[in-house]
This record gives sequence, C-alpha cells and structure tokens, in this order.
Amino acid sequence: MSRPLADSVAAPQLDKAKLPIGGFARQRVAAIARNAFREAVRDRVLYNLVVFALLLIAGAIFLGELSGGQEAKILVDLGLSAILLFGVLIAIFVGVGLVYKELERRTLYAILSKPIGRGEFLLGKYLGLSLTLLVNVVVMGLGLSAAIVYVKRGWDPLVIHIWPAILLIYVELTILTAVAMLFSSFSSPALSALLSFFVFVIGHFNSDLKMLSQTSARTATSWIFAGLYYVLPNLMNYNAIAGAAHGISPTPISLFTAVAYGAIYVSVLLAGATLIFRRKNLK
Amino acid sequence: MRRDYPLIIIVVAGLVSAALVSRWNDMHRQNLSARFAEEQFYLDGPALRRVTLAFNDVAADWYWMRSLQYVGRKIVAYRDAHEGRFDLSNLSSLDLHLLPDLLEICTTLDPKFLDAYYYGALILPDLNANDAVKLLNYGIAANPDQWRLYQHLGYVYWQQDDYQKASEIYGLGAQTKGAPPWMAAISARMKAEGGATAAAREMYVHLYEASDDLNVKEMVEKQLMRLDSLDERAKIRQLLSDYAKSTGRCAASWKEIAAALRAARVRLDSSGAPTDPSNTPYRLITGGCDVDLDKNSLVPH
Repeated sequence: MSRPLADSVAAPQLDKAKLPIGGFARQRVAAIARNAFREAVRDRVLYNLVVFALLLIAGAIFLGELSGGQEAKILVDLGLSAILLFGVLIAIFVGVGLVYKELERRTLYAILSKPIGRGEFLLGKYLGLSLTLLVNVVVMGLGLSAAIVYVKRGWDPLVIHIWPAILLIYVELTILTAVAMLFSSFSSPALSALLSFFVFVIGHFNSDLKMLSQTSARTATSWIFAGLYYVLPNLMNYNAIAGAAHGISPTPISLFTAVAYGAIYVSVLLAGATLIFRRKNLK
Repeated sequence: MRRDYPLIIIVVAGLVSAALVSRWNDMHRQNLSARFAEEQFYLDGPALRRVTLAFNDVAADWYWMRSLQYVGRKIVAYRDAHEGRFDLSNLSSLDLHLLPDLLEICTTLDPKFLDAYYYGALILPDLNANDAVKLLNYGIAANPDQWRLYQHLGYVYWQQDDYQKASEIYGLGAQTKGAPPWMAAISARMKAEGGATAAAREMYVHLYEASDDLNVKEMVEKQLMRLDSLDERAKIRQLLSDYAKSTGRCAASWKEIAAALRAARVRLDSSGAPTDPSNTPYRLITGGCDVDLDKNSLVPH
C-alpha cells in the first residue's frame, strides 16, 4: 500500500529554504541519506534483527547437543552467514526499490524540483541504505559476540576475530547495494533484484572465471573470461567467515585492499547508475 | 456472522480431514528414506564448495553434524540389535561406508576444520585405512603447520604395521613449528622398534595427552588396557607353560597356578582367577594351556 505524499520520506525533509543553492552538496546528500535511513526503519527493515536474535539463541542452545564440541565454531559460522544472508536480502530488495518507490509515489518529482542533482539523490539514497546496513551489521555483530560469550561461558578471542570478517561482509553488502541501484536505474525492481542476485552468485564464482581464462585454449574465449573476471565484482575477497570461525583474522593489508577494492567498485557502480539515471526520462 | 458459519465449518472440517489423510498416508507410506539413506552423494566436495557460495562454512558444519549423527545412529541401531553392547574398538561392524565421503565433503568445504580430521583419524582406520590416509594427507596439505595431523597420520601407518612410513611421518611432524620434542623421539623409536609394545604405549600416552577429544581419550585408554593385557597374558602364558612342563599336564583351573600368579604380581580376583585391566577374569583355554580374554571383557580383543 502506498503512503500518502505528506507521509512520504524525502519530500518533507527537503525544505527548499534550508537547502543551499550552490556548493554544499554534502548537506543535500546527507539529508537524503537521513531520510532513506528513516524510511528503512519505518519499513521495519530492522525487524530482521529479531529473527537473527532468535536464530542465535536457538543456535546457542541446540548446537551444543549436535555439534560434538564445535558449538562456538558453528555459532560463528551460522551467525556470520546469517549477517551476510540478511544483509544481501536487504541490500538487494531494499536497494532495487529505493529509486523505484520514489518514482511510483511521484515524490521523486518533488525532490528533483528542488536544487538537488540526480547524482546527489542517488548518492544520498545509497548512503542511507548503507547506514541501515551498518546499523544492522553492527547490532548483529554485537549479538553474535554476546552469543559467543554465552556459549564459551566467558570471554573468548573469537569475540575479536569475528569483527574483521563483519567489516568485510559490510563492504560486500555496500557493493551489492550499489549493484542493485545500478540495475534499478534502468530496469524494473523484479528484474533488478534477479540481476543483482546473479551478480552476488557470479561474484562468488569469480575465481572460476580466472581459472577458465587461464585454461581456455582459444585466445578470444580466454580474453572474454579474463574481462568478466575483472569487470564483475570479486566477492571472494570478502569471504573471511571460515577464518573467523577458526580464530584467524585477515592480515591488515588484505583487509585494506579489500576495503579499497570495495570503495573503487562502489564509486564505479554509482557513477554508472548516475550516468543512466541522468538520461532517464522521468515524464 | 451467521453467513460465516459455513466457511468456518469448511476450515475446521478441512483441517481435520487433512490431518486424517496425512495420518493415513504416514501409516501406509513406503519407507523410502531407509531405502535411499545409504545412497551415494550427488555432489562431491569441490562441487558443493562452489554451489554453497559464501556459505560453505555453514555447509561444512552441516556435514560435520551429519557425520556425527550418521555414526551415532549406526551405534544406536547396533546397540538395539546387540542388547546394548557396543565398543568403540568395534567400529568395523557398523558399516559406516558413507563416513569417508561425509568427512571429505566437510573438510573440502572447510579445509581448516581440524576436528573433522581428528574424528576421521579415529574412526576411518577401522573401516578403510586408505580413506584415513587420504583424509589426513588432505588435512596436512591444507594445514601444514598442524603437528597433530602428522601424529594421527603416523598412528594410522603404525596401525598398518608400516613402521618405516610411521617414523617418516612423525619425523616430518617433528619439524613443524610448535611440535613437541617427543615427536622426534617417537619417530626414532618407530624406526628402531615399531612393533614393540613399549613403543606403542609411549605413542598412545602422547596421543592421550595431546587430545582434548573424549572419544580419542576413551579409545586410547582402551588401547592402553589392551597393551597391559597383552603383557599380562604373555606373563600368564609363561606360567602356564612352566606348570605344564613341571607337571606334565595343563592346569585344570586357575587355583593350580594361583601361587605362581601371586608371585608374578598378577592381579587375582576372590576366586583366584587372574583379572584383566577391566577387572574381568581371564579365561583358561585349550585345555588349560593358554589364556584369553573373557567375552564380557571391556578390553579390546
């Protein structure tokens, strides 16, 4: 059910009088980001935290019976995978609707009639959802830490080792959010969600693309696979769950390069989305 | 409200009917799960590693728990069929032919899952030593710094009486960072006196001390009991032989050599029969000229 215009997310906050005409793009982006975050909260996106909490409690209670002494490892695997899974669902399904909902409710016209660029609008929406994901991921991470303390009956180094993995999961989610926004800038929400999910899947098969390019006898095929390997996001960079469960943290350099790769990739995707969205006929 | 009654009746009657039909189906359904329970897996470890995307660790945990339950169910079924009796040293009677694949998938999905290798090292040698060697070699390739994997692999080779290979593996394990000094000592001992019970005892003691797993500790305790019993039986056999030489006949009962047994510091029960490390009396066999474990003994045969 669509909300009445007065209740819509962005329009009431973007008072023209409060927005500077030139320069201060950061404030305009921040205003849109705040509204996107509030919208996500109002849409009960954070309800997944309850499911996550129940999952962890059930896991902590029952795994001890089934895991043959591996309850902490399994709890970390389960918790981090749940953070990734819930995050991917939010990034894709909320991400593809960010622009579409504004269009459907026609609130986009009210926003863009103000001195806000389409790129700023997209960036604001992206940052708002990234903030929602950050809150999600941090709360889930704290819940997982508490569950580890419960299972281990006290402090355990795993409580520290999970956080680099959580950071990498978060960066992966920000990439997927940008992917979802790129697709939603030119296609329907359903198709965008499907394509974004494919990117998530292919992103985890990325090493196979490289292997195929290296083993392919034909030069053209080899080039195509190599091209796909470099063009598609390499989400294997962000798979640190196994290490975390065994108490192994990624090295600072690999953490830094993974975050840098994510930042570069997100910039590329948002730039692409802005290019498409600028040319979109909104009439 | 009154016009809703038919719908309410349909809902209630429908649910009851569905429950009844479901119950009838359960009672008359052919048990397909039993038929297909032992079917081989459709996907091997590498394929599963791909299709589970970023969730291969959860999948590894799933296969780990499946492995435990697979063995657990087999033990329960065996106990049900054998009046509650089951001994960990009797794993070959369980027909655990899916276990190597389950553990292989589990460790392919999570190559750093050390407990899965240790579990395999404990159980697989009784089923097929080659599977245990394959699993542990894979584990060593994925975790070359884990000396306990070498310890387990050396133990598997030792069980196969391949003392040369066991010595080699212990030697390799001794070179890993953090390996205890006794790994090198065991390597040398394997080479010199691999089949001797003293070497075996030393190896089991280290295996016991290095493991946190209660199953491993229980298995080692049993094996140490077996070694003690082998020494005791050798001693008793010698006394029986001496008695036969001096009297020209075998002992008709333990009482006849009770004094000699006491002098040799062999534990005896109230009836004068020597007892094994599980406090079960030994059995006098072949007309009183030999000794064996009783069928109720907890010492592995």
